[in-house]
Amino acid sequence: SESDSGGPALNIGVFKEIAKRALVDALNSVNGAKTLVLERSLAGPLGLLTEVSLLKHHGVDKMFWLESGPLNASTTNVVYLCRPQVKYMMIISEQIKRLTAEHATHTYNLFLVPRRTTLCERILKEEGVFGEVNIASYKLEFIPVEDDLLSLEWEDTFREIFLDGDETAIYYAAQALITFQQAYGLFPRIIGKGDAAKKLANLIIHLRPPRLATVSVALDSLIIIDRSTDMITPLLTQLTYQGLIDEFIGIRNSHIEVDPSYLSNAPPAPPTGTPTPSTSTSAPVITPANPKKKKHLLTASGDTLFNALRDLNFAVVGNRLNREAKRLDAEYKGRHQAQTVAQLREFVGKLGGLQNEHQALRLHTSLSEQIHPLTRTEQFNKSLEIQQNLLASYEPAAQLNAIEDLIAQQAPVQLVLRLMCVASLTSGGIKVKVLENLKREILQTYGYSHLPTLLNLTSLSLITALPLPKIPLYPPPPPFAAIRKHLRLLSDTPENAPTDVSFVYSGYAPISSRLIQCVTQKGAVLASVGPADDAAAAGGAGRAERTVAHPISGWKGFEDALKLIPGETVDVIQKGDEGESPLVAPPPPRDRATTTMVFFLGGCTYTEIATIRWMAKQTKGRRYLIATTGIINGSTLIESLAPKGAKFEPVA
Amino acid sequence: AVLSLEDSEDKEVTERISAIKTAAKFFSEDADHSFEAKAMDEALRLLVFQQQLEKDSDGQKKYVGLSVNETMAACFVNGLAKKADRIKADWRVPDKRYWYTKLYALTSIRDFDGLDAF
Repeated sequence: SESDSGGPALNIGVFKEIAKRALVDALNSVNGAKTLVLERSLAGPLGLLTEVSLLKHHGVDKMFWLESGPLNASTTNVVYLCRPQVKYMMIISEQIKRLTAEHATHTYNLFLVPRRTTLCERILKEEGVFGEVNIASYKLEFIPVEDDLLSLEWEDTFREIFLDGDETAIYYAAQALITFQQAYGLFPRIIGKGDAAKKLANLIIHLRPPRLATVSVALDSLIIIDRSTDMITPLLTQLTYQGLIDEFIGIRNSHIEVDPSYLSNAPPAPPTGTPTPSTSTSAPVITPANPKKKKHLLTASGDTLFNALRDLNFAVVGNRLNREAKRLDAEYKGRHQAQTVAQLREFVGKLGGLQNEHQALRLHTSLSEQIHPLTRTEQFNKSLEIQQNLLASYEPAAQLNAIEDLIAQQAPVQLVLRLMCVASLTSGGIKVKVLENLKREILQTYGYSHLPTLLNLTSLSLITALPLPKIPLYPPPPPFAAIRKHLRLLSDTPENAPTDVSFVYSGYAPISSRLIQCVTQKGAVLASVGPADDAAAAGGAGRAERTVAHPISGWKGFEDALKLIPGETVDVIQKGDEGESPLVAPPPPRDRATTTMVFFLGGCTYTEIATIRWMAKQTKGRRYLIATTGIINGSTLIESLAPKGAKFEPVA
Repeated sequence: AVLSLEDSEDKEVTERISAIKTAAKFFSEDADHSFEAKAMDEALRLLVFQQQLEKDSDGQKKYVGLSVNETMAACFVNGLAKKADRIKADWRVPDKRYWYTKLYALTSIRDFDGLDAF
């Protein structure tokens, strides 16, 4: 049945309760009314756990953003909630010193997320306020955002690890995965690719507390995908429904901002001037970023239509919506068939459900109507054509010309930079004269303030000048053509009945997804036509019989492909107290599926999530749990690599 | 008050200029960064040019902070086509980008005569 591997892997909802209870405990540890001073970037993640009413219920009188400047606290208790960063310690010290000088008497409490650090304590000591602050940790780790998806909801992790060389996030990720193991037992096997993946695996093993000694029976392995092993995928335009919503509307902490008419029968709001966002510390936290738009939690839980749509190639979404509209219409008409009171009562009983479905249909029709014209513009189609040609290594020089045209037409700078990186990564670099011309065009069109971004992209080898110097400053890009061949990245598949993960980019399979398949679905990497596809090709109606998932045997069979991709290869068996584990895990019993956890270090895209959900449906006996440091797309990735204050226009 | 406002704006530009000069010097000391050094020279020239444009408009128009393209566009919008052409020459703006910029600028102010002359 569909629910065999399609259903949720483990009940991860428990992590929400744990995180929520920890927050309540933290607030309750401070008696009486309190003023909460919150780091801005924590508001989104906390919003996934709790509502403002819960905070009020636990004594929060007023909330402020943690920003430099004076603090007007009306309560004796002040509670700071922030990540352990130097800049925040400086702001807090400054505020406490100012309040002390004003003879204000407050009790200061600082909760560091996810952990207190000695560095922060040292700074508070140096600033002379250490004695006045009660310091504790608020262990906010994985947040379940869907029933198969855990996210740490960290921003800019890729930049921190790979550009700044700040590996704190790897340490915190290890802690979060250890907490996860405390709930479900040790991962029997940790498999991964990339230098940062290796560091993470080592930390998971070495930081393991001695009392954590039982190997999990529910999980068969943890696969760590280090973002640096596949930089092309996030730079491409996502072509799934949820991916395009993220590209054009933007999904932040699972929330979208939409016209209120999408969510109710209300007429569209009249356009109002864009309000200037308040930056003063004295402004209350709870003001919507855009009052004319409404925030909506975009989730499949309770929205079965979104569940069906989110991972489809956008090309087939219109059809699916049409079918849903016809079905709903027929259901409503069902009331005419109701002859007896009992039948009528039955219909009325269904009505609430129908109204919910109607609401969902309105939302998704509106979103599709907003996105559809944006996928029809010349610019969108030109940029897709450039991407497809580059991925196929078709006339790379002509693609660079086309990118220059997009610059002349003032396409968004994020798009231009994404395409330029894809061009460099797929061609092994760009001839120095051509590259310098492109960079000049970018700086003159979008401003010289983008120069640091270009330098950052260069130091990450996302842009490489050819010919390479004898002693390259940065490693050359990995050999794309060879990787493409070994991992069969180009693969046509019907969009309405995909036979390969390549459906998310209309004919291109992400390297990251292929790496996962190298471990969990070896046959699918080698050939597009599996047993399931034979039936589909023969015109068989419905789903073909799914094959049983093969046991986890590491990277076996793909050693050559792995050598082409930079970074270390990880394959470690974790042993418990029961003695040696078998080197190759026994095949899962037919009646019980095992779960493979995939963790993206440095973020993943909605398309990559879609490919893993697709994999889950292909075989029996294996479920997937997806976990990530955060959800990214090409534009958020590029923006994270820009200096603070660089100008970016919205993409749509 | 107006004077002090101008003063602070001037200071801002001076600060920008000195920051760019520092960067340009840093890049020029490194053979691998000759492109960046040239770009910073361009940025510096642009700021000086923009400052002059602002002075010429008696402080009525804003130019500082705009990109080369945006400055050209602002010149078209403010009826300074000659200045835009000067930017095209001095910054070696390719024809294609120049014409698109002019087209967008004239469209934005609905200058149909200008568009007719295209």
